Amino acid sequence: MTTPDVAQSAGRSELKRSITAKQLYFYVVGDVLGSGIYVLIGLVAAAVGGAFWMAFLAGVTVATVTGLAYAELVTKYPQAAGASLYVNKAFRMPVLTFFITICMLSANMAAVGSLASGFVRYFAGVVGMSEDAVIPALLIALAFVAVLTLVNLIGITESVVANVVMTFIELSGLLIIVVIGVIALFQGISDPSVLLQFSGEGSKAIAVVSGVSLAFFAMTGFENAANVAEETIDPSRAFPRALIGGMVTAGVVYVLVSVAAALAVPVDVLAGNTLLEVIRADLLPIPVSVMLVVFGLIAMVAISNTTLVTVVAQSRILYGMAREDVVPAVFEKVHPTRRSPYVALLFGAAVVGVLLVIGALIQLSGSDLDVVDRLATITVVFLHFIYALVIIACLTLRGSDETADTYRANTPLLVFGIVGNVVVLVYTLYDDPGALLWVAGLLAVGLVLFLAQRLSTKRAAPTTKEH
Amino acid sequence: MHVIVATDGSQASFAAARQFQWIADSREITHVTVVAVVSPYAAVPFANELTERRNTEPTDFSFQDDAASAVAHVAAVFDGWGPTIHTQVRSGSPAAEIIRAAVDTGAGLISLASGSRGLTATILLGTTASRVQHSAPCPVLVCRPTSGSPSGLPAG
Repeated sequence: MTTPDVAQSAGRSELKRSITAKQLYFYVVGDVLGSGIYVLIGLVAAAVGGAFWMAFLAGVTVATVTGLAYAELVTKYPQAAGASLYVNKAFRMPVLTFFITICMLSANMAAVGSLASGFVRYFAGVVGMSEDAVIPALLIALAFVAVLTLVNLIGITESVVANVVMTFIELSGLLIIVVIGVIALFQGISDPSVLLQFSGEGSKAIAVVSGVSLAFFAMTGFENAANVAEETIDPSRAFPRALIGGMVTAGVVYVLVSVAAALAVPVDVLAGNTLLEVIRADLLPIPVSVMLVVFGLIAMVAISNTTLVTVVAQSRILYGMAREDVVPAVFEKVHPTRRSPYVALLFGAAVVGVLLVIGALIQLSGSDLDVVDRLATITVVFLHFIYALVIIACLTLRGSDETADTYRANTPLLVFGIVGNVVVLVYTLYDDPGALLWVAGLLAVGLVLFLAQRLSTKRAAPTTKEH
Repeated sequence: MHVIVATDGSQASFAAARQFQWIADSREITHVTVVAVVSPYAAVPFANELTERRNTEPTDFSFQDDAASAVAHVAAVFDGWGPTIHTQVRSGSPAAEIIRAAVDTGAGLISLASGSRGLTATILLGTTASRVQHSAPCPVLVCRPTSGSPSGLPAG
């Protein structure tokens, strides 16, 4: 019945973090590996020729250097908002911060659409469905997005163990391709000189840049590591290791896989197709029909894993924006039991669904335009812009908020990263000026939203103060 | 006895903390640790519905800060009650971390809210509360939302 004094009753406040450097590494590898090589290899091969591995190497180099900037910034500002946070810290321009957030959101939505259509191609390969069947393909893509949204609503993605398992499955699929490549090399299926062949007649450097422009989507995903910055133990040591280690792993795997694919299959067969062509080359002592199903399933798991993380990132951006009153408060609603932002998740799924339906309608009308692929190009434009800006932010913020623990990236490398991102950005826009219209359109939507939000908060401000 | 009071940032968890205080005898309780768990890989690692956000910049939101404010808000329920009050923000899977907090502190009781009633709780792989009940090292008090009293305290 004693009344404890203040000193006694003020207990300890503790904060325990959970993500280790190893878990962060698997998060980066898993997120990067699933995002593109399964989907894009055919496109890149068609653009570059037998030497398309160089495009993957160049792309992963630019991405890794960008990763260095992220590693430095994340150790200074270990919060979840990522690129938007860094750009806001460096430039203090609300319009720019808002645009970066909108760009990230659009890029994420386009990525989900693009990954969904990649998933459909492997699904079609496994069940023997014709790729020309627009309506069934649309239905499968919609079902894919719906299932992943449901998984996120329930909250299954929260498991660290599941993430590591998924990463190993992704790696196993790519290992199969590498083994086939080694067999092809020893059986003398094709001449290793194919690895230095370029398909176009123009400059080799331009061919590689065009390949990077296409392949770059495969390098993205590492920026999602900023999502777990707050939860990481000893971030100033864990982040540089996990980000660079993860990107180097992805780079080695990508180069080995593209070399193996080029050795096992003639480039014109690979062009425009998926990695299933490498399995069809029938170089393993296991029946092709079995391997096609096994590899198709692995590819679908890989794509699903990356899509899951992308959907998480997308709903988190929307939730964050609602929390900051940038979008209506309804996006802040979380399910009472599952604690998942169901409005943000359902809205994201609806936008992607509408994109997929519009894409299918345009295809049915006989047009060649593939809206989803188009959006993937736009994603790349946005991402190069954001990445270049993040590196500039990193350099701008040098000298502020630094502690003895802050990781410091190599400055010449960062400058190289800016140049790399800008070169590919400029090439993409030069090669495909139409993309500029799409970008302008999306930015215009963003500007309207920004102005609307500005006006509404100004009007709402006096009333909120009264409460 | 040491008691773990868990919060997920919801109003229901706040009501549960008050319900626990109403039920419990403060003479038997020496320590109360209010615990919140942030889930790094979840779409929203921690949703704080108890306090207003504090950050002024549009990009400064921090789920750990949100969890810390929620924990402080719930801890304030026990102000002047008697036992020593601790707060803890953990990271990981909610049920596993609540159980770990109980093991670490040698708790004699875990108190938490049941989340919602109805179909979703039954179908969707069980709630945090049911997982905690399943493998807790001590008794578990699951406070249920009572209809007609938003404070969570029984009427009368």
